[in-house]
Amino acid sequence: MADRRIDLPQGTLDLLILRTVALEPLHGWAISERIHQISSKVLFVQQGSLYPALHRLERKDWITARWGVSENNRRAKFYELTRLGRKQLELQESTWRTLAAAVAQILETT
Amino acid sequence: MLNDLRLRLRALFRRKAVEVEMDEELRFHFENQVAKLMRSGWTPAEAQRRARLEFGGMEQIKEEYREARGVSFIGTFVQDIRFGLRILGRTPVITCVAVVSLALGIGAHTAIFSLIDTVMLRLLPVQKPEELVLLARTHALLESDPTPSFTNALWEEVRDHQDVFSGVFSWSDSKFDLSRGRAVRQANGIFTSGNYFRTLGVPPAAGRLMAAADDQPGCPGVAVLSYGFWQDHFGAAEGAVGGTISLDHHIFQIVGVSAPGFYGVEIGQNFDVAVPVCAAAIFDGKESRLEHRSWWWLRIIGRRKPAISVEQINARLGVISPEVFAGALPPDWDPQGKKDFLKLRLVSSPAATGTSYLRRRFGEPLHILMAVVGLVLLIACANIASLMLARGAARNKEIAVRKALGATRARLIRQLLTECILLSSAGAVLGILFARWGNALLVHYISTGRNPVFLDLSLDGRVLAFTASVAVLTGTLFGVLPALRSTKVSLSAAMKGQQAEESERRVRFRPGRCIVAFQVALSLVLLVTAGLFLRSFVKLVTLDIGFDRNNVLVVNANLKTAKVPRERRLAVYQDIENRLRALSGVVAAGRSVMTPISGYEWNDRIHVDSPNAPTGEASLCYFNYVSPGYFGTMRSPILTGRGFDARDTSTATSVAIINQTLARKFFAGVNPTGKYFRLDPAKPGQPAPTIQIVGVIKDAKYESLREETYATAFFPIAQIPENDEEENFEIRSTAPPTALISAVQESIAMVNKEIPLEFHTLRQQVDDSLVQERLLATLSGFFGGLALLLAMIGLYGALSYLVTLRRREFGIRMALGALPQSILGLVMRDLAVVLIGGVGAGAGLSFLTVRLLQKMLFGLSPHDPATIAAAIGLLSAVALLAGYLPARRAMRVDPIVALRYE
Repeated sequence: MADRRIDLPQGTLDLLILRTVALEPLHGWAISERIHQISSKVLFVQQGSLYPALHRLERKDWITARWGVSENNRRAKFYELTRLGRKQLELQESTWRTLAAAVAQILETT
Repeated sequence: MLNDLRLRLRALFRRKAVEVEMDEELRFHFENQVAKLMRSGWTPAEAQRRARLEFGGMEQIKEEYREARGVSFIGTFVQDIRFGLRILGRTPVITCVAVVSLALGIGAHTAIFSLIDTVMLRLLPVQKPEELVLLARTHALLESDPTPSFTNALWEEVRDHQDVFSGVFSWSDSKFDLSRGRAVRQANGIFTSGNYFRTLGVPPAAGRLMAAADDQPGCPGVAVLSYGFWQDHFGAAEGAVGGTISLDHHIFQIVGVSAPGFYGVEIGQNFDVAVPVCAAAIFDGKESRLEHRSWWWLRIIGRRKPAISVEQINARLGVISPEVFAGALPPDWDPQGKKDFLKLRLVSSPAATGTSYLRRRFGEPLHILMAVVGLVLLIACANIASLMLARGAARNKEIAVRKALGATRARLIRQLLTECILLSSAGAVLGILFARWGNALLVHYISTGRNPVFLDLSLDGRVLAFTASVAVLTGTLFGVLPALRSTKVSLSAAMKGQQAEESERRVRFRPGRCIVAFQVALSLVLLVTAGLFLRSFVKLVTLDIGFDRNNVLVVNANLKTAKVPRERRLAVYQDIENRLRALSGVVAAGRSVMTPISGYEWNDRIHVDSPNAPTGEASLCYFNYVSPGYFGTMRSPILTGRGFDARDTSTATSVAIINQTLARKFFAGVNPTGKYFRLDPAKPGQPAPTIQIVGVIKDAKYESLREETYATAFFPIAQIPENDEEENFEIRSTAPPTALISAVQESIAMVNKEIPLEFHTLRQQVDDSLVQERLLATLSGFFGGLALLLAMIGLYGALSYLVTLRRREFGIRMALGALPQSILGLVMRDLAVVLIGGVGAGAGLSFLTVRLLQKMLFGLSPHDPATIAAAIGLLSAVALLAGYLPARRAMRVDPIVALRYE
């Protein structure tokens, strides 16, 4: 278990969730797994932050939830992106890219 | 937004379903995690353990999840209330004591505030009351308070010259006798100018109201009834309108009834009957106050035009003033008086709340009482705070468990505060009931037999808002500190067990001592206040007032209303006095124009030909006309010279008997008997009347018990000029004076059946003048006592609690050979620290605050050492008593039982 776990910076969790559910509807566990895998096991989302975040996004009407059947045939709550959420995702993505590029530039030049 | 609302509502109303879903979702996650761990080779048990570790506290996540749902506030609030009720219900006695003491505090506060609200703050129930302004006159050059009274001539000038009001009216309060026969039945009357109701915007409930046409010179009498009077007196009969009513033995036609809820513009005095100003001529006869240019009987209110500010009105009134006052100049005044009169100016002030004599009389006492009650409430709060503190310490374990299960501190504090708000809300609801009852009591207190106070004390929004904010404030006040303290739990200490917990509890209760000391301090302030008012009152009651108030019946008789011609009145009064003196049970009888301490006065300057005699304002002297029997009846001894007798007829030399003060001021060092003084001439140009002094009488109070005795001169009643409309008979009896009333009525009826009579006792009259002082003494005494009781409960509770906590310690000490006395010493030391701290702070606080009471006190300084010492003594005695019981319990701790306790 030599995962290099990094705690997520404030505010990035929303972006990651939006990104993850942009492709297809996912349930909570799958979202956390997907983030964990795609980030090469660097990022790990605590359940304690995941579910409140999901609920917050649902209330903002960026994602919507419905009950479906999971791959192992269990009832599970699936989250998917709304139109509003997609716009938000684009916005946050470009903000993040700009920010990351700026930070990288500073780190490289100084 | 809509989505947000939908989810919130769902979480709120489908709580169960939402909870189940949340459980399911989290369980699904957990199981997936376990399955994943098992796939990577862990045993099922180990996989579960790891998953759980990763997960953190399941309940914590749920709680955060609930937070995120956004309605947890309301949801948990309901939960908190349920839980709070359960906790409070577990200790019903303590809860009851807490609620009742809060209810007393909040109730008293509400009652007094509602009186202040009614008398001082509430707007008149008329159209746009904020537009109303009260007119007053002030001297252009001299600094003086504006006086709001006017003569009829001035009123007519104002009415005809003003251009800043959309309507203006005048009125005057009066009393009318409703009876057509002997016993007087008083009704509250008002004289109103024709547009009184129209300007105020009060509609009729039946018939019509006064109109401008009703208020013309030489008018026939019409009357408008108030709604309440119409109901009580006429049973709300439609037929009453168009009927007649007898006012002071004159018949008036009833034209209508005013709307319910309108009681007149004078707060504290509801009107029963309104008659037009012009009707004064009907009561007064030839020389009516309509013509009289120095009879200041009317007051004026105007409704400003919407676009005009009060400043603009005052500027405009200043401009028209010379014209107005020139048009109403009294022709018989001397040149200096006329010059001063022409310098008068009109000013206005907002009158949205009406006018009230109660404001001047009771404004300050009510505010003092408000402060007193506020302190009592604080003491009650302190009691509950220390109770909560002790309870919080006792709930240490519960709180620790809840914290361990994931409750946040904020969440626990909210729970504890909810309990407090529950307590204070219950106190407030009960308090409003107490307030209704307290209000009736207060109004009863400030009413006197001869001057009943009427107040519309219906609860309004302002009063309810006041009560609600007091409740929330008190709840927070006694809740915050204990909540902060008791949620600061160290989990490990709490779980360790009894011993650690006990010392923990003691630490936690430390602010309890400060709270109790604070209570002691506040109680001392209240006791000193109560002591000062009580002693002032006792001083006033036991003051030598110069006459004997006991066993004297005062009978007011009016021969003018009975239509006895002026030239016969003296003989009729004399006849009646002789008959009364002959009644059985009567010791002495006399008669006079004024009676002492009645609130009426008659004064003028006198002149003495001596270089040292006072002049100007200092030569003001107070007068009365009395019969020869008066001094004997009042038991006022004649010190030198003679009393009045049959010699002093209307044609004999004008004589007077003076009091000691007049003798001292005007005739220092000489015997005044046989000397003369002069009065101002009745009319300019006439000779000044010269009066010979025939005797000196002991000083007596004239108008109020608080006055520095006035210089007073008494004249024989037989030498009264012409204006003797009514006189008072004083009858000293052996039995209680009221028992004489029917005999007196019969006896006077034998002379003339038409004479209206009014009865009261001299004692009553003197007592009525002390309403303010009695109110303050009684209520501050009551609240002082209540404060003492509450502080005693607080002290007892705190010490009992500390003793319980130290049982083991005491047990060990005793097992090691400590004597019970030394245990007593330990407890008493606790008590002494609290008491000394509290008394010290209280004495300092009293010293600073009681100075504000100075004006209300009589005959003693606010720093009266005897009062302060007595208050400290009483408080300490009570504190020792409260501390004795727990201390005794401490002494009786059985070491074996205490040690086996664990």
